[in-house]
Amino acid sequence: MSPVRRRQRVDPARLGRAKVAFEQLLGRDRVFFADQDIRSYADKFAVDDNLHQPGGAIAAETVEEIQAIVRIASELRVALWPISRGKNLGYGGSAPVLEGSVILDLSRMKAIEYDEENGTVLVEPGVSFYDLYDFLRQRGLKHWISVPGNSWGSVLGNALDRGMGYTPYGEHATKICGLEVVMADSSLVRTGMGAVEGSPTWQLYRYGFGPSWDQMFVQSNFGIVTRMGLWLMPEPESLMGMDLEFDRPEDLGPLIDALAPLRREGLLQQSPTIGNWLRAAAVLTTRDQWTDQKGHLPDPVIDAIRKRFNVGWWGVSLRLYGRESVNREAYKILETEMNKLKPMIMRPTTWRRGEPIESSGWTGTPLTFPMQNANWHGGRGGHVGFSPVLPQSGNAAMAQFRRTYERYREFGMDYQASFAFGERHLINVNVVLLDKDDPEMMARVDPFFRTLVADAAEHGYGEYRTHLDYMDLVASTYSFNDHALWKLNQKVKDALDPAGIIAPGKSGIWPAQT
Amino acid sequence: MTRAHTAVLSAGLLAMAACAPPAPENPANTGPPPMPIPETVSSRPSAGPGEKLFLEHCASCHGPVGMGTGLLARRTDEPQLEKREDLSADYVATAVRLGIGNMPPVTRGELPDEDLQQIADYLVAVEETVP
Repeated sequence: MSPVRRRQRVDPARLGRAKVAFEQLLGRDRVFFADQDIRSYADKFAVDDNLHQPGGAIAAETVEEIQAIVRIASELRVALWPISRGKNLGYGGSAPVLEGSVILDLSRMKAIEYDEENGTVLVEPGVSFYDLYDFLRQRGLKHWISVPGNSWGSVLGNALDRGMGYTPYGEHATKICGLEVVMADSSLVRTGMGAVEGSPTWQLYRYGFGPSWDQMFVQSNFGIVTRMGLWLMPEPESLMGMDLEFDRPEDLGPLIDALAPLRREGLLQQSPTIGNWLRAAAVLTTRDQWTDQKGHLPDPVIDAIRKRFNVGWWGVSLRLYGRESVNREAYKILETEMNKLKPMIMRPTTWRRGEPIESSGWTGTPLTFPMQNANWHGGRGGHVGFSPVLPQSGNAAMAQFRRTYERYREFGMDYQASFAFGERHLINVNVVLLDKDDPEMMARVDPFFRTLVADAAEHGYGEYRTHLDYMDLVASTYSFNDHALWKLNQKVKDALDPAGIIAPGKSGIWPAQT
Repeated sequence: MTRAHTAVLSAGLLAMAACAPPAPENPANTGPPPMPIPETVSSRPSAGPGEKLFLEHCASCHGPVGMGTGLLARRTDEPQLEKREDLSADYVATAVRLGIGNMPPVTRGELPDEDLQQIADYLVAVEETVP
């Protein structure tokens, strides 16, 4: 059995009845079913604008309202697509997998509880990275957050989608500690120590007693998370590191092999990301400044862009966090190891507590400018990402790079890529930069993406995250033992939400009766 | 999104140098100037209601180093909305609700109509006071 399934639109008649019921519950000013509303909740970066159209949207402000909404949706068999802030651009934004789903917009829920002594927060879905940064800034930034490249989005939503940032707390899903969740039967559950009445340790100990469920609600559709505990990094005493540029494509493998043991050893606690020249250039310039030629960029154009912005074929930034005396010693090791690779540029950087701070992702300062790459083609743009998980091996990464680069050239796409370290893995994020004003190019995107997924699967690689269009496809590549994992996910879905009220199709998970 | 794939590490500081002169022939081991601290609600304690809403909902992209400011710098002489003199309230409201260029629409769920109106009124009035 394949997890790729036929999708059925939500019935318009039931949708109409649901709209009336939602208006009775929330008032008409929090129910949005006009054409303009539907367009505003659609996927701005869609490859095909006709897919994933929502049926309408509603804005909840309390947990009790969410419970009542779930009861209505369940009674009328209308699918809900919960969003925290809907800024998951590149993965579908605020749009649902299943056309006609009602967007359950939680962006107005913005409460923050802060345990300054222990360095934890409890946040609602609408809290953006800017909101949390501002909140902590007002209190002296004794703790730093970890931000993704689009910090417009939700802290909770990003962690639940396994988003990543740049600090030692950059694997956001691993810093979750305790959730509050509305289930499809409208019951309210608190995970971990939150299940103990009045517990002071909900955000301190992840597991509780018996099975630990936090990760069950990550990249899934088993419940609607209304509050999330998150650990924050204490402001370090010092920050040291370097920004590096490397000149040649083949420098990637040795760089990975040099960084991987430092990361596994713990000398590097941050997870570095090696990015190619276009990751820098797509933020800084537009393609038409350099060529009017369609198809992939020729090497002389790449060389000219690199020269203009003084960037390597690959670049990486490394940072050490913590006590200054420790960082000084660690820096020496880092410098020695990197110099062995003969980088094109090495720019050291250092900061001590009390000095003016580097406003960047490495200090947990929120940012949005990386999204300027949506304008690479000059007009209506966007992107989708193809992101297989690899071992931390220079040879494996080079092979994946060469294979993928050739596919980009074959399909006439500009290659933007990065290799992001985890503790034991690499995520190879390949960005497909869209030109929505070029129908011929847009027609190539889907076959291109499917080819990349197939290539990766052939080598045993699966993606860590994907766009709405490809959730079934990616789920299908997790195929061990006749898709046993997909079957398990479906059994859980059937047990918790047999009617598929909550986000049907998320991560390829559908109830059996769909 | 997420560090997601739009994460830009070594490119980060370079974004501020997008409008800078071309790199020198001999690449020195120096980078572009550091980016400024983002403007958030607490940046301006005496902000009025419309200004606070602008800081909360718009400044992430339309502040000094935001995506919106960066992209508008490619098209307009004055990329910072608070310094624009040619904005009408209707234009602001339409751009926000429909989206414009690479800017996605901002939904009524996230930003109620009455709050949007306050932001639009603020942007129409503010260019006289923001330096």
